[in-house]
Amino acid sequence: MIAWVPSICVSSHQISSNVLEIRTKLRFNYGCLDWNRKRTCRKFVLRALSDSGSSVDDNKRIQNEVVDAKRGRVLLENLKFQAARLQETVSYFPPVVFVMKRQSGTNFAIGLCILATILVIAVRLYVVKKSRYSHPGSVADLVRRGQLRSDRRGISAPLKYEDPFNNPLVKVGKSTSTIEMCGKVYRLAPVTLTKEQQTIHQKRRSHAYQWKRPTIFLREGDPIPPDVDPDTIRWIPANHPFATTATDIDEDLAQNNMYQKHGVPFRIQAEHEALQRKLEALQSGQKLNKLVVDPGAAKDFERPFKSHLKPDERVEQSLPSNHLGSNPSKSKQVPNSFGSNSNSEEMPKA
Amino acid sequence: MSRESAAPQTPKPYHYQRTKPSSRNKSSTRSVLQYNRKPQLAGETPRVVVITSGKGGVGKTTTTANVGLSLARHGFSVVAIDADVGLRNLDLLLGLENRVNYTVIEVLNGDCRLDQALVRDKRWSNFELLCISKPRSKLPIGFGGKALVWLVDALKDRQEGCPDFILIDCPAGIDAGFITAITPANEAVLVTTPDITSLRDADRVTGLLECDGIKDIKMIVNRVRTDLIRGEDMMSVLDVQEMLGLALLGVIPEDSEVIRSTNRGFPLVLNKPPTLAGLAFEQAAWRLVEQDSMQAVMVEEEPKKRGFFSFFGG
Repeated sequence: MIAWVPSICVSSHQISSNVLEIRTKLRFNYGCLDWNRKRTCRKFVLRALSDSGSSVDDNKRIQNEVVDAKRGRVLLENLKFQAARLQETVSYFPPVVFVMKRQSGTNFAIGLCILATILVIAVRLYVVKKSRYSHPGSVADLVRRGQLRSDRRGISAPLKYEDPFNNPLVKVGKSTSTIEMCGKVYRLAPVTLTKEQQTIHQKRRSHAYQWKRPTIFLREGDPIPPDVDPDTIRWIPANHPFATTATDIDEDLAQNNMYQKHGVPFRIQAEHEALQRKLEALQSGQKLNKLVVDPGAAKDFERPFKSHLKPDERVEQSLPSNHLGSNPSKSKQVPNSFGSNSNSEEMPKA
Repeated sequence: MSRESAAPQTPKPYHYQRTKPSSRNKSSTRSVLQYNRKPQLAGETPRVVVITSGKGGVGKTTTTANVGLSLARHGFSVVAIDADVGLRNLDLLLGLENRVNYTVIEVLNGDCRLDQALVRDKRWSNFELLCISKPRSKLPIGFGGKALVWLVDALKDRQEGCPDFILIDCPAGIDAGFITAITPANEAVLVTTPDITSLRDADRVTGLLECDGIKDIKMIVNRVRTDLIRGEDMMSVLDVQEMLGLALLGVIPEDSEVIRSTNRGFPLVLNKPPTLAGLAFEQAAWRLVEQDSMQAVMVEEEPKKRGFFSFFGG
């Protein structure tokens, strides 16, 4: 047995997969041998124990010993045969260098395979990256759609999760202490807040935050009106971005506007009526002009209208000359009490 | 509209019993999973709910959009009011920004009628959006609260019928915008995240709401991460509840889909397949309808049972 090891060591630099296979086989055989030897030993022990037998038994025993000795010899021969076979095998296979040299013809194919693999990985990465950027809702998607140019948003196909009453993605475990949502199992813990604890918290807060809702809003620097609780005053800075303390609001009118259900909104109607009156006045004024006009002063009509004047001013200018006195009453002018330039700003986006 | 006359609905009593965990678990399960039926509307309509937080960026507008659309999907008529005068965003989240031509300011001015200012969602026709003002217009401060009360009254008397829910998206802070937003409300949903800055503001806002007479306050804990809670890097939902002492309406897990849905102008609850946060919003909406609160919370993710072939990736 000891002789095998160096031979394998010597040939270790030439080990190929076949050689290794043989080696494992050898190990197996060695195991078998070992097992046989143990069995032999057991027989010797048995013989020692049954030493008090007759002469017949002695003869049998001698025969047995002979047989055992023969078996041992056969085993040793087997072993030697195995070793010889291994040596033959080792000497049969050429060294690895020669094996490599012989396979050099396939190197090109292997290289090609590796190149193809790298190419496939690169293409896949590129595709994934591209698909990521075109994902709906991503920043790139927003850029593609023009950074909150939201009119484009409606184009993307809406996802509608139709049925909220039958959701297969929520399941409760049999023990009712777990819940499965979206494929993940979560452990449930009971809520421990009691009504008493809630009351204690409410009392704590009522002590900590004594607050009165502000009823009067004053700009910084305004005098505090008499009989007003100072706690209910909210001071608004003069440069507040969207708050104003202007109080020139007709509250009744605003309330009526809020409650209006049908018809033309108040302001639109008022503007319309005002314009109508102006138009009528203009029309009647033109008629009178025609009557009054001196044919000798026809040059005046050839001159273009003063472009820098607004139409309203033109009307107002023309009316006094006609002595009609049909000025639209000032009370009909509806002030935009909220100071919002709502007509000009925030036009609907294209 | 006086708050007393609206009779704020008291939340259902808690059935928590420390000695009987088994019965508690059963009831909790029922409150967690309430699908396969339509929720029963509790309380008088319209339910005027203000969604507030104190701190900015915790998810008030996201909550308003998602809870509002969930309610609409459950078959209730909803009007969502963006009461954020200076920085309105609800229209963006709902993808309705192109359709906002008139606001409450124009209605009060008489430039349009109220029904013209309401923007009806095309996806769910029983959901309508109303913005209080355009970004650069100025609102007289003391007038905003009154205007909202008139608005709620006008919505009650609509031809189409009174809406079931009026959700008011409150601006951050406790400034004039907050006062305006809470004026007509009967109940409040407090949105908070499990961090101390948000909790301090939430506690203060709750105090102010209670001082103002709004007693029905429930909270939604947003952006919860179970992995951080497990590592004790984040307060658990039960810790938050212990600090604020408020009933839980919902727990929303952190979800990357929120950003995507915000950018798309398409609320999470309409996503198919539904996301974890979307489902949580849906359940919160369910509890809001029934004036219910959570009896159990999801604590942590349990490791999945691995099969025999899991070693091979099965």
